[in-house]
Amino acid sequence: MNGWTGKILDIDLSDATVKTYELDMEMARLFLGGRGLGARLLWDAVGPAIEPLSPDNVLIFATGPLTATGYQTSNRFSVTTKSPLTGTILDANSGGFWGMQFKKAGYDALVVRGRAERPVYVEITPNGVTIEDAKHLWGARVGAVTEQLGQNDNRRNVLCIGPAGENLSRMAAIMNDGRRSLARGGPGAVMGRKNLKAIVVEGKERPGIQDHEGFRFLLYESRKMLRTSPLTSQALPEFGTAVVMNLINHIGALPTRNFQQSQFEGAEAISGEALTEKYLVKNASCWACPIGCTRISRTQKVEGEGPEYETTWAFGAQCGVDDLAAIIEANHLCNELGLDTISTGSTIGCAMELTERGLLDSDLRFGRADMLAPAIEALAYRRDLGDDLADGSLRLATKYGAPELSMSVKGLEMPAYDPRGMQGQGLLYATSNRGACHMRGNMLGLEVLGLPKRIDRFQVQGKSSYVILHQNIAAAIDSLVVCKFTHMAVGEEYFARVLSAVSGVEFSTGDLVRAGERVWNLERMYNLREGFTRSDDTLPSRLLREPLADGPSKGWVNELEPMLAEYYRARGWDRQGVPTQDKLKELELEEIVNSQQSTVNSQ
Amino acid sequence: MDERIIQQFLEVGRDLFEADLVSSHGGNISVRLGDRVVIKRRGAMLGRLKPHDLVETGLAKNDSGVALASTELLIHRTIYLSTPALAVIHAHPRTAIAYSLSRDEIVPIDNEASYLLKKIPVVSEEVPSGTKEMAETLANALGAYKIVMLRGHGSFAIGQTLDEAFHWTSTLEEACEIALKAKLIGETFIEYRGMSEGYKKW
Repeated sequence: MNGWTGKILDIDLSDATVKTYELDMEMARLFLGGRGLGARLLWDAVGPAIEPLSPDNVLIFATGPLTATGYQTSNRFSVTTKSPLTGTILDANSGGFWGMQFKKAGYDALVVRGRAERPVYVEITPNGVTIEDAKHLWGARVGAVTEQLGQNDNRRNVLCIGPAGENLSRMAAIMNDGRRSLARGGPGAVMGRKNLKAIVVEGKERPGIQDHEGFRFLLYESRKMLRTSPLTSQALPEFGTAVVMNLINHIGALPTRNFQQSQFEGAEAISGEALTEKYLVKNASCWACPIGCTRISRTQKVEGEGPEYETTWAFGAQCGVDDLAAIIEANHLCNELGLDTISTGSTIGCAMELTERGLLDSDLRFGRADMLAPAIEALAYRRDLGDDLADGSLRLATKYGAPELSMSVKGLEMPAYDPRGMQGQGLLYATSNRGACHMRGNMLGLEVLGLPKRIDRFQVQGKSSYVILHQNIAAAIDSLVVCKFTHMAVGEEYFARVLSAVSGVEFSTGDLVRAGERVWNLERMYNLREGFTRSDDTLPSRLLREPLADGPSKGWVNELEPMLAEYYRARGWDRQGVPTQDKLKELELEEIVNSQQSTVNSQ
Repeated sequence: MDERIIQQFLEVGRDLFEADLVSSHGGNISVRLGDRVVIKRRGAMLGRLKPHDLVETGLAKNDSGVALASTELLIHRTIYLSTPALAVIHAHPRTAIAYSLSRDEIVPIDNEASYLLKKIPVVSEEVPSGTKEMAETLANALGAYKIVMLRGHGSFAIGQTLDEAFHWTSTLEEACEIALKAKLIGETFIEYRGMSEGYKKW
């Protein structure tokens, strides 16, 4: 089959061994690649006895069957591990160039095990795979490491951690190409624990395509769709993802001051429009992307990539800050230190509420733009209060006596949409396998943007159907791997056809979505094996019991319980949220989850 | 039942009738709500739906609702269980039905349908209504297409919402009317689309 290289690279840093073995093509058919392949490999490799920050945890970097094919946005890849922040299965997903280059180096996935005695970096080139001394790089920030190791977007690509990963911050990101991030859930800490500073790749093999003519037509049609959609051809290139800031504020779903309000008086000042008008140098694109949502922005102090909408919200509305320059600088600092901006900003916002309620003695107060950079620095190096911040909002709020002030699900900080104003988004957060996540299903599209058609954001009955469908689609897209922004213009049926054209194996739309459902259920089984239960599928009490006091979502809480009960039934799970044996059998998961044999470790 | 869901049925039912896409008592529409299905009551008129014309029943399991449901319930259920559909519209678009009598696929020549639908397959069953075989044939075809014609009978469109399935239905009929009018004009078709062979192979 084309699409996959058929090879997995396996590096054990404890004894510096490098192995290559064949990808099981039945596994590829069932789980595709990226997030799906990562979940399948992690199921075997990391069981409940292994702590996330143990050297026995693994990092699985995986591309998908569409990566590097040249299909629009086929630059992406993922990392899968057990999360140090949540204890759940974690996959984080990134764009840029590294994923494309790794696939061209001839591998579908890289499994990193063990722990090096001293800091090292790995170099993967056509000449072979080597493990190199990284003593001179340890402690360095992301930009410096990336430059020193010879980043060249189209030829040689660097993935690394910054000081936050070295210091085991539970919200440490892995950065690639100097500016993109595998951010959520703390994969950078797992890499730091392994004493692995960086992975450099060079490749030269373009993946094969089975049906060139069909592939060309799909490229042609997809390009038309991306060029004619105002969202992908105008809104995202002109304003970046922060184009939704004013829209979300307008409907009363912009979490403000740690979700105490849902409209921010400073939204206009931190909007995509303001970013473009005052700070944008130019927009930029990942490899093979015609959209170009990336911002290159400049303040008097810094110039660099970003910020995204979520980042602008996390350091903006969440912290009560309307100083866009300070937000851009906070984002730049997080990129340099290697931090997830959502968790970082949200945790600082949580600390601000703890302080204002007299539970924490700190200078962190809502609106203090001047405190962002010092707090981020302290967090990355675990200095003073930063040591608490680095463990995330749930541990922080619990330590200071108010766990309910952590705006998180399963310990992962929620993104920039208030579930009281978007009912489906709440169900999405509550059920997301890696904790609260907006990228696990596009309820923004359905409840706000009207993609593919608008549904009522306050509707409760039947909402589970949409959430489930979009969770399955998102899991499939994350396994191909392409960018979800293409899905704002190009339907999932195109992705199924592209996969068919590339691989030569017929995948219907239903087959593709079913693959996503399989991935979702395996992730669910992983979390259940770790001890998670129905009680973890919930939202912070504020969102369930404190109706919004004003604005267009006034009077609403999130009506999670009826949605969740409907969700379990519609998923084919029992009342405790456990997939039934019939469901596992239907998804061809029965043998996998009933077997404790480690196929990865046996290689 | 949530008032918002009832409203969707009333509006789309009325629109289908007013757009001449169904006869007085023809066609049916449904949505999937979790593990439940809401479908038009048997014999109810799409153009004049009332809240009591909507029947809720299980997606996989029967209950008393099936006594009232549309005769096409089996098809709708089969489609939901084997495709990602969350809404189904079965209509009787007249020009599309006429085209279905003489071909195995309809390849639009207008821009809108080329863009949205590419190609519409025509499937055939000897007993073209309510049978298990027909349900499986349609569901199989809808695994790869958003709208399918059942020869001599009508269209089945899927979507995430009734609005979306309605969009595909009206686009198909518009495409067939345009093709028919172009044929009546009888002049040589000037290809304006790039890679036009791709639509036939979709």
